[in-house]
Amino acid sequence: MRIKAFFFILLFLLAGELIRYLFKLPVAGNIIGMVLLFVALKYRWIALSAIKPASDKLLEFLVLFFIPYGVGLMIYFDLIKAYWLPLSIAVIASTLLTLYITAVILQKSGK
Amino acid sequence: MNFFFLWVIFGIGITLVFYALAGRIKRFKIAFLNPVLLAIVGIIIFLKVFDIPFEAYNKGGKILTYFLGPAVVALGAFFYEKYEELRKDLRLLSIAVIIGGICGVVSIVVFMLLLGMPLFLIQSLAAKSVTTPIAVEITKNVGGIPDITAGIVIAVGVFGNVFGLYFLNKMGITSQRAIGAALGTAAHGIGTARAIEEGVIPGVYSGIAMCLNGIVTAVSTPVILHLIL
Repeated sequence: MRIKAFFFILLFLLAGELIRYLFKLPVAGNIIGMVLLFVALKYRWIALSAIKPASDKLLEFLVLFFIPYGVGLMIYFDLIKAYWLPLSIAVIASTLLTLYITAVILQKSGK
Repeated sequence: MNFFFLWVIFGIGITLVFYALAGRIKRFKIAFLNPVLLAIVGIIIFLKVFDIPFEAYNKGGKILTYFLGPAVVALGAFFYEKYEELRKDLRLLSIAVIIGGICGVVSIVVFMLLLGMPLFLIQSLAAKSVTTPIAVEITKNVGGIPDITAGIVIAVGVFGNVFGLYFLNKMGITSQRAIGAALGTAAHGIGTARAIEEGVIPGVYSGIAMCLNGIVTAVSTPVILHLIL
């Protein structure tokens, strides 16, 4: 059951990579695969129960898969150290702005 | 003796050990002690103390990151489940997230340009608001360094988790739906964890906002960078 579900996910990944390659899209193949899977579920081309055994397992360990990238930050310490202040300012200002814009649109139009 | 093979086992093993250790901290519920952040910091300290270069660690680490391929596809199933929970309000929420998400990318790029930051940092941080696996893919795509992205994206999430709600309240935002959507759009999964603590409505809104913004940012970032840079 889970092997079959995992195989389906790999098919969507493959389809995403193919579409990216054929149409030379500037979006990663696995993100295209993710959108394809969403669309396929929405239009009932495939049942959620056929995917869920594998997707739940993959998502349970999702965090584990990007820890090595986080550790990779260590080679860039010196590079980033030189910019830590403007970097923090830009990131914090942009995050607060995003929070506010999103919230204010929903709050103002929700009444 | 095949030493390459041993390094592979070491890289995967040490990641698993710190992942398991950090998971145990979760029950203290202190946002600064975010388990992912703890695992990453723990491994970095370990490698520094024993003077192990990142390249050696990454022989195994790299193999774990290959799973991001199918895992990101699996997010599609997760998004679908969230979408089913909230069909009615979807149009307004989508508009808010699309504008908020694009604003997140444009603002970080413009702020960094104004502060005179180098190009590789701008490319690495343009997608800072979305969930780490998607952000990492976007960064690879636009020519940034994914190792920089992962750390900062998690830090953004922790920041949103700790200060987001306080900031929104100060700015006069009281709507539960607005608070949820904002946390999910700006601070992805880690912000969503905070929204879930606030209640069911902010939790669901935040989850969907995070999903939507993942897609919005993946599609818009290459275009925005092309237009601005």
